[in-house]
Amino acid sequence: MAAAGGGAAAGRAYSFKVVLLGEGCVGKTSLVLRYCENKFNDKHITTLQASFLTKKLNIGGKRVNLAIWDTAGQERFHALGPIYYRDSNGAILVYDITDEDSFQKVKNWVKELRKMLGNEICLCIVGNKIDLEKERHVSIQEAESYAESVGAKHYHTSAKQNKGIEELFLDLCKRMIETAQVDERAKGNGSSQPGAARRGVQIIDDEPQVQSGGGGCCSSG
Amino acid sequence: MSLKSERRGIHVDQSELLCKKGCGYYGNPAWHGFCSKCWREEYHKARQKQIQEDWELAERLQREEEEAFASSQNTQGAQSLTFSKFEEKKTNEKTRKVTTVKKFFSASSRVGSKKAEIQEAKAPSPSINRQTSIETDRVSKEFIEFLKTFHKTGQEVYKQTKLFLEAMHYKRDLSIEEQSECTQDFYQNVTERMQTRGKVAPERVEKIMDQVEKYIMTRLYKYVFCPETTDDEKKDLAIQKRIRALHWVTPQMLFVPVNEEIPEVSDMVVKAITDIIEMDSKRVPRDKLACITKCSKHIFNAIKITKNEPASADDFLPTLIYIVLKGNPPRLQSNIQYITRFCNPSRLMTGEDGYYFTNLCCAVAFIEKLDAQSLNLSQEDFDRYMSGQTSPRKQESESWSPDACLGVKQMYKNLDLLSQLNERQERIMNEAKKLEKDLIDWTDGIAKKVQDIVEKCPLEIKPPNQSLAAIDSENVENDKLPPPLQPQVYAG
Repeated sequence: MAAAGGGAAAGRAYSFKVVLLGEGCVGKTSLVLRYCENKFNDKHITTLQASFLTKKLNIGGKRVNLAIWDTAGQERFHALGPIYYRDSNGAILVYDITDEDSFQKVKNWVKELRKMLGNEICLCIVGNKIDLEKERHVSIQEAESYAESVGAKHYHTSAKQNKGIEELFLDLCKRMIETAQVDERAKGNGSSQPGAARRGVQIIDDEPQVQSGGGGCCSSG
Repeated sequence: MSLKSERRGIHVDQSELLCKKGCGYYGNPAWHGFCSKCWREEYHKARQKQIQEDWELAERLQREEEEAFASSQNTQGAQSLTFSKFEEKKTNEKTRKVTTVKKFFSASSRVGSKKAEIQEAKAPSPSINRQTSIETDRVSKEFIEFLKTFHKTGQEVYKQTKLFLEAMHYKRDLSIEEQSECTQDFYQNVTERMQTRGKVAPERVEKIMDQVEKYIMTRLYKYVFCPETTDDEKKDLAIQKRIRALHWVTPQMLFVPVNEEIPEVSDMVVKAITDIIEMDSKRVPRDKLACITKCSKHIFNAIKITKNEPASADDFLPTLIYIVLKGNPPRLQSNIQYITRFCNPSRLMTGEDGYYFTNLCCAVAFIEKLDAQSLNLSQEDFDRYMSGQTSPRKQESESWSPDACLGVKQMYKNLDLLSQLNERQERIMNEAKKLEKDLIDWTDGIAKKVQDIVEKCPLEIKPPNQSLAAIDSENVENDKLPPPLQPQVYAG
């Protein structure tokens, strides 16, 4: 977590890890490709892969490095989820508005994430493919009220028409910054270094750590 | 030239040409005036000496390091300890958990283990140790050279690194988790110090940390990779056996979006397998990660060529699983554990390398837990394949296995095609012959029919003259008839 929440010093950039979860074929990949490359089903996509993408942002003077982790959506890989979303700051849960099942999957993910990571993680529930409004099978009210009930935010997007995606990521980043700041403040009471908590757990530290861990108070070695 | 002219100059002392050692054989300037046999001896001696000196240097450095930290009290008594006693103490130590006692023993075990090292050094075949120490020396040198470019910060980092390595020396008998914890703390401390005090730019911090990791992990590798105190080795063997048992899994079962029949793609697959196997040969966690990343890039290439669109995680993970199954990389679990424990966390958690590493962990977890359902097979089929009774490949294609290389596959295909052509050829030949026969039969038949008809109604042609004559000749009484009337002209 050191790197993830490590935006402590003023000049440094925040690094956030965001996982993309959702059933296969809901458009996770299209969503992230649209965001990072602004392309949709394009033959000229330069990137070799769309499973790990990064984006640099500047939000209100704060620099943010976003690492977006795509996950395999097939049912048989479901059990591997915890390995992927460990230590992530945000999760984007995508469903297809024309597919009721994919929304049920999102509900499962939410339950699991809350159980494993608590409230540390910022959740976004995303109804993708709103260009296919006519074939909608998940009602807007249901989706939004569900999102609210689990402390997540709901977004409508269309990767095809490039709708709602920029907003989704921007909003998520702002929320993650807030969470990180709350974290820092909590840690900042004791010591200015986020590593303080970690060192407390350590069993034997009678040697160099004492010297090197002094932070601002002791003289330089 | 001068030598030559000297020789030509009538007189060269015979002794000048002989071996310097005086063994009676001729010497050679290329061998410093020795004969071949003596030269070999001398050279060997010199090399041994060099090796010895290197060792002494290494030992002296080690001692210097340790002296900085050695507590004077135990040194005298501890030095008299024999190696076997040290072993005893080592086991004792593990059972006792009091830190002060630990400290006492760790000091003595330090001397003990140093003794052990010396023993190792004097063992008859030190080639392996020697090799490691050469690499360690090289890395040390590089590290120092690298840090020189950072002046004061570099000095500071070097000092901290030294202190850390000494501390780790004491902690060699702690559990691997505790050692890992210490290492992680060290990474964090050094990074923070550089950022907050040294005001070093983040990119440079990253660079320095990479070098720090390289240096300390090259030195610690021997002690912390697959340590005996853990069951890493058992896990390695377990996963290896598991992968071997799963040899029958086909790309189709995993829905691998890679078409190995395209030469470029199968090339990429081979490269990816090579990379993942190569991981075991690296010592630094970051280098191991780099192997995984290289492997992943090759997989992405393979997918891109096959599907002509960027690979998503839905494509990538099954392919990685397939690669791991095909490659069966050595000491897979040990490597994963080692990276998790000793890699700089900032790299492992957020970077691209971290993502691929996570996927590898997923692939291994999947392989461990894989069952009939995850391959879309019935339980009976799965059990039969696992027990080795049948193989799905046999049913799919009996003439060749999908494992065969492309050339062989192509050859089999061509052979197939040829045999098909051969069949057709034969069929055509047969039909042609039949046609020929039919034709002959037909002509024969016609001829026969004609014959028959001819026989049935033989052609009798009477000569036409004869029959005309006959008409006339039949009327024999013609002569008796009065002569035809003759026109008469009446003069009237």
